[in-house]
Amino acid sequence: MMLSRAARPALRAGAAAAARPAALNAPNAATYATLREIEDRLKSIRNIEKITKTMKIVASTKLTRAQKAMTESRSYGQTSNTVFEKAETKPLDGEGKKTLVVVCSSDKGLCGGIHSGLSRKVRRILAEKPDWDLVIVGEKCKAQLGRSSGKNIQLSFAGVGKDVPTFADASAIADQISLLPTDYASVQIIYNKFLNAQSYEAVDVEAFSEEAIAQSPNFAAFEIDDDVLSNLREYALANALYWALAEGHACEQSARRNAMDNASKNAGDMINKFQILFNRTRQAVITGELVEIITGAAASEEG
Amino acid sequence: MAFAWKAAGLTYNRYLAVASRVVRRSLKDDKRIAAERRGEMELRFAKWENGKQGEMKNVASANEAAMAEAASHQGSS
Repeated sequence: MMLSRAARPALRAGAAAAARPAALNAPNAATYATLREIEDRLKSIRNIEKITKTMKIVASTKLTRAQKAMTESRSYGQTSNTVFEKAETKPLDGEGKKTLVVVCSSDKGLCGGIHSGLSRKVRRILAEKPDWDLVIVGEKCKAQLGRSSGKNIQLSFAGVGKDVPTFADASAIADQISLLPTDYASVQIIYNKFLNAQSYEAVDVEAFSEEAIAQSPNFAAFEIDDDVLSNLREYALANALYWALAEGHACEQSARRNAMDNASKNAGDMINKFQILFNRTRQAVITGELVEIITGAAASEEG
Repeated sequence: MAFAWKAAGLTYNRYLAVASRVVRRSLKDDKRIAAERRGEMELRFAKWENGKQGEMKNVASANEAAMAEAASHQGSS
């Protein structure tokens, strides 16, 4: 996101520079300055291209690791979900009880609309249920949602997304959530689902409360002591969070790879354009100089 | 209370974390380094009140403090 912002003024300036030589060629002294200007801009675009290319390569390598972690974590989440599917657990109709929404984004930007996609989904949910509470993981969504719906936020976490998320991360977050004073009817985790390397989608996964588990229709299929139930709930929450974090991380890396790929391509286009402009301007300057010399020579011959 | 760690104020996840840390530490050196990286956690968090972000705190120390408090609470009651 930051890059596109940085690139845009340059683009605008580029368009201005393209318009300028024609206007400035008349007073001949100014051509030298524009030539240097174009050269400088070319240099800076080349540098940006180098940066985005490197970031793309870094993201590509991280992506393979993230995808591996994602497939591994998926089995955690799905296994834990099977229990609730078999028990046919459904979210309680929370009368007077709130639902907690956990948003799994990350700290870093430069990866397209992946964070704002999450924020949009959360805003849509909050528009229907304005009293639901939020827990936000990652700086980016915190900044976006903190502005629009700061009153709903209960907790925010930072320091994720540097590396592949670990289960220690997930369980620490789950612990903090279970330490919250309010008793929630259920916990919804919102994350980016990894569809393929090009696309992702903001979806939610449910982590149930103890009552919801206890009241599920097929609960008798399992032999569970009442004491253990709260453990199961905490563990299921951590599992679901781990899954969501790992999948979100993979999405972020693939989105960053794509964003950097596009940025490098755009930079390449701009370099071509500026190179042509640079050559044209250089030739114009040379022609101008020649005209000056020839007219000067002709004038002195006459005199 | 059926579990000793529950009586000590630990949550199940904390109990898991402690158990897995012990397992990781008892591994052989070459495996241990790779395994211990999986147990690292550098999260920071902040509580929000009325749309204002509170102070950033380290999650690990805050978790420990909260659990110690829970333990003393249960001990007294």
